[in-house]
Amino acid sequence: MASVAVVPRTARARAIRRHALIYLGLMPFLVIAVFPIFWMAITAIKQDADLYLVDAVPFWFRQAPTWKNFDFLFHNTSYGDWIVNTMLISFWVSVITLLTAVPAGYALARLRLPGAENLGIGIFMTYLVPAIILFIPLARVVSTLDLQDSWWALVVVYPTFTIPFCTWLLMGFFKTVPFEIEEAAMVDGCNQLGALLRVVLPVSWPGLITAIIFSFTLSMQDFLYSLAFVSISEEKPVPLGVATELIRGDIYFWGSLMAGALLVGVPVAIVYNLFLDKFISGITGAAIK
Amino acid sequence: MSDERPAQTHSTMLTRRSFLTTTGGAAAGLTLADMLAARQAPAQIKGTNLRLLIWSHYVPAYDVWFDKFAKEWGDKNGVKVRVDHIPHLELPARYAAEFAAGAGHDLMYFAGQILTGQYYRNLVDLSDLAEGLGKKYGGWLDAARSAAQVGGRWYAVPDFFISIPVLWRKDLFASVGMGEPKTWEDLRKAAGQLKAKGHPTGMQFSHCNDANHNWRALMYCYGVKETDPSGQNITIDSKEMREALKFAKAMYDEGMTPEVFSWDDASDNRFLASGVASWIHDAISAFHSTRVTNPKVFEQTFVVPEVAGPGGTWNVGEPNVWAIWKFSKNVPAAKEFIQGIADNQKEAMQASLGYNMPFLRGQYAKPMPYLGNDAKLGKLQDQEKITAFLGFPGPMTPPAQEVVTTFIIPDMFTRVARGGAIEDTMKWGVGEIRRIYAKHKAS
Amino acid sequence: MTQVSPGGPPPPGSLSVAIGDSVRALPWWRTPTARRYLFGYTLLAPAVLYVGLLVGLPFLFSLYLAMSDASVSSPVARFVGLENFASALENATFYTALRNTVVFTVGAGVLKGLLGTSLAFLLLQPFKGRKVVRALIMVPFTLPIAVSVLGWKWMFDSQFSVINWALSRLGLIGSYGSPDWPVWLGQPALALLSVMFVNVWRGFPFSAIVLLAGLTSVPPEVLDAAKVDGASFMQRFRKVIVPMIAPILFIGSAFDTVFTLSDLSIVYLLTNGGPDGSTEILPTLAYNTGIRGGALGRGAAISLFLFPLLLPAMILLLRTLRRRQY
Repeated sequence: MASVAVVPRTARARAIRRHALIYLGLMPFLVIAVFPIFWMAITAIKQDADLYLVDAVPFWFRQAPTWKNFDFLFHNTSYGDWIVNTMLISFWVSVITLLTAVPAGYALARLRLPGAENLGIGIFMTYLVPAIILFIPLARVVSTLDLQDSWWALVVVYPTFTIPFCTWLLMGFFKTVPFEIEEAAMVDGCNQLGALLRVVLPVSWPGLITAIIFSFTLSMQDFLYSLAFVSISEEKPVPLGVATELIRGDIYFWGSLMAGALLVGVPVAIVYNLFLDKFISGITGAAIK
Repeated sequence: MSDERPAQTHSTMLTRRSFLTTTGGAAAGLTLADMLAARQAPAQIKGTNLRLLIWSHYVPAYDVWFDKFAKEWGDKNGVKVRVDHIPHLELPARYAAEFAAGAGHDLMYFAGQILTGQYYRNLVDLSDLAEGLGKKYGGWLDAARSAAQVGGRWYAVPDFFISIPVLWRKDLFASVGMGEPKTWEDLRKAAGQLKAKGHPTGMQFSHCNDANHNWRALMYCYGVKETDPSGQNITIDSKEMREALKFAKAMYDEGMTPEVFSWDDASDNRFLASGVASWIHDAISAFHSTRVTNPKVFEQTFVVPEVAGPGGTWNVGEPNVWAIWKFSKNVPAAKEFIQGIADNQKEAMQASLGYNMPFLRGQYAKPMPYLGNDAKLGKLQDQEKITAFLGFPGPMTPPAQEVVTTFIIPDMFTRVARGGAIEDTMKWGVGEIRRIYAKHKAS
Repeated sequence: MTQVSPGGPPPPGSLSVAIGDSVRALPWWRTPTARRYLFGYTLLAPAVLYVGLLVGLPFLFSLYLAMSDASVSSPVARFVGLENFASALENATFYTALRNTVVFTVGAGVLKGLLGTSLAFLLLQPFKGRKVVRALIMVPFTLPIAVSVLGWKWMFDSQFSVINWALSRLGLIGSYGSPDWPVWLGQPALALLSVMFVNVWRGFPFSAIVLLAGLTSVPPEVLDAAKVDGASFMQRFRKVIVPMIAPILFIGSAFDTVFTLSDLSIVYLLTNGGPDGSTEILPTLAYNTGIRGGALGRGAAISLFLFPLLLPAMILLLRTLRRRQY
């Protein structure tokens, strides 16, 4: 009887200890990753004067918290437009990326084409060409397409850095799709294209989601291209808008800056997390052949 | 001037932004209509579009006024005007893109980074407009040509420059028995004594715009000449430059803390507003913002146009000029706009709270807008007599510009402050400058 | 023809065998191979065209720039061969920037790898709140870089730094004004470490997720088998886990390296290369010389400098990885 009473307690004690160790191990990571975010959130609802009090606690409020920074963001700047622009840009960039990277990834994965390997490497190399040089010839392209100062210019330009990575990613995904499925479809009468559309794509939807997530992330990081091609306030994406209109020389609207960043970054993180499981299996497939 | 008082009593928690907006707007509305009525633009520009790209002014109220002015000017002349603002440090990238694209804005602005010398082949020759303005308003300052002329022709029209005076704390100086500082030695002495009391000073030793300006002010006051007046020959390798470096080192050791190595353009503003700074060398935007963020400190803050050095008194200004792309589809309207802004200089200066210093001699008639009515800022009305620009005494040529954008001067001062030997630093710095000038000569 | 090879349709030639001797010789463009090639290249075409036109051509243009005396304003420039590259080598700051770039990329990369791996291991364990933790960890990566870096600027501020405030309250450093008050972006080594830290802060969540993917893909049977065989954790780690996650690690690092090498934002917004070049990296030097200073040819040469070094390295890496079969 005594041993029966001991066992559950030991198991539970072990579980508690394990949890404690894990949380302890996670603490530094959480602190490093999350503490700045927490600080940014506090700053977003702090009053300006409160920020400059040298002896005040940065993590709490000396003066009452306020929604004024958010208010300023939406009423005194075109932040609403910027968010819409960013979402639309990312959407269209994802579309273009999928339309080009899916067939390319499939071709490189499945069809043993001569020169495919070198092409794969070549695709990768495009990242070595820095944007600070590329933006000049691209400015010519943008103006030829008459897209200057429109966010559509960015829709044209951003795929240059999303397509290579997503091609590689999707290539990995497609390689993990068992060939039997395609074969079965072809036996049923599809040609290869039909097999691709009807069988391979539906099965690789985690890969497609991953590619979309990356397109979104990479699109939201850009600053230089948007600076070079868009100067009209209402056409700007969030990063450009926030960085150019919430800083005037020596005045940084810290509260609104942080608010602007969080409003766009946190929802995206939440959405990412929802897809994270799929995302993880996606990268695995891509890397292991 | 009683304009700013009513705004301030509205509420105790007035933010900097609303203060500056209110004041500028109130002043502007009074005479805008009158001034606009004074000049009719030619009919040929009716029904056209005009696109402007200018910087984000450090005094937000000015941009409010400017956008309003542009709209009203457009309405009056039948021109659809669109104004875009981006921070001045990002303008060069944008211009490179526009030039490569062969399309973009009609009227543009060089703010601080003067690219006239680089783009002049692609800019409309504005000599007639500039000469006209010179005749109308008592002639241009000599320094105006530096930013706008190439080979004797005007490829840009100067708008205004920003002066960077000394802002000092009367109460702190008094506490060590000092009055208004007159020389760099005074500033050094004050900083040295006040640092011990917890009130050091600070000037940026970093890669920022202010560093380029502040150290050149010291240099010019020590008699350093970057080039000869033609701008072709480098004359910076001199005894005076060594003296300036030595002085900077001493001033750093005695009166500053290591935090100045990480400062950016806004850090000294914050330093003043936090109450710590005994003095700073900064544009009056710091003055205005301190008024809102720390009224107690503001009360004790006073302005000196510049302090003297062994080589004289020179203040480094940051020029802003207009230019028109050759590929613009609306050159006449752009020219008319430049004329319009110049004609409304008084309102512009008022709206900028005295920040915009004119390039035209006639516009220095006292009392000047805003400055003439502010007891503390009144002395800035004579600023043009002591203003020099980057590259002094040479013009702002492309190599001079590259020396600026690669922060060679701030780096030289940083090395010395960190304990580097003056001779080594001179060898490095002058070597770099020579290399840049040689590169530009070759092409 | 019962052999099903994973990864491709049956090899050509087998078709004619199956049909028999009565096969007619098809013209080469109608053979299955040719059809496959046609199909394949057609599928590849959009991506190749898009990237080729918008990156490849501009790249060639930038090579031309790097070998001419172009400035931002000259439409036609003189060809000067490798002069710009040579002139870069004459510039003392270039060596500083090169050194900093290497230190930055390698250092940050190693840190991201280490931190990412540890975090991935932790996240592998089942525990309550794992989903929440994962979501929180992602946020540094999803915030637009321009703005999160500005946040760090304020956090590193010489007067108002929240980090210093915290450290000072904890008694680890003195108060503001004392000699041990760190000036994160002002002291030479500290400045470079600070910008590296921001890069790591942004990047290690991503590394962790990538590695997590790799670790979860190790089939548990393999691990169990190793456990049964009596292998210790370290042995298991080295002999089983590392080889399995190595491809992911390498590819992830490769992309990350490439992204870091051309990233301008962090340094530009925090220190712009200062003080005195202690955080100067090739992208900022190229930008300040080429774009803001107008000397486009020399700026292009600086930014393309690493290309000839990286190209063979990348080719080698990718070729090696492809050879491995798992």
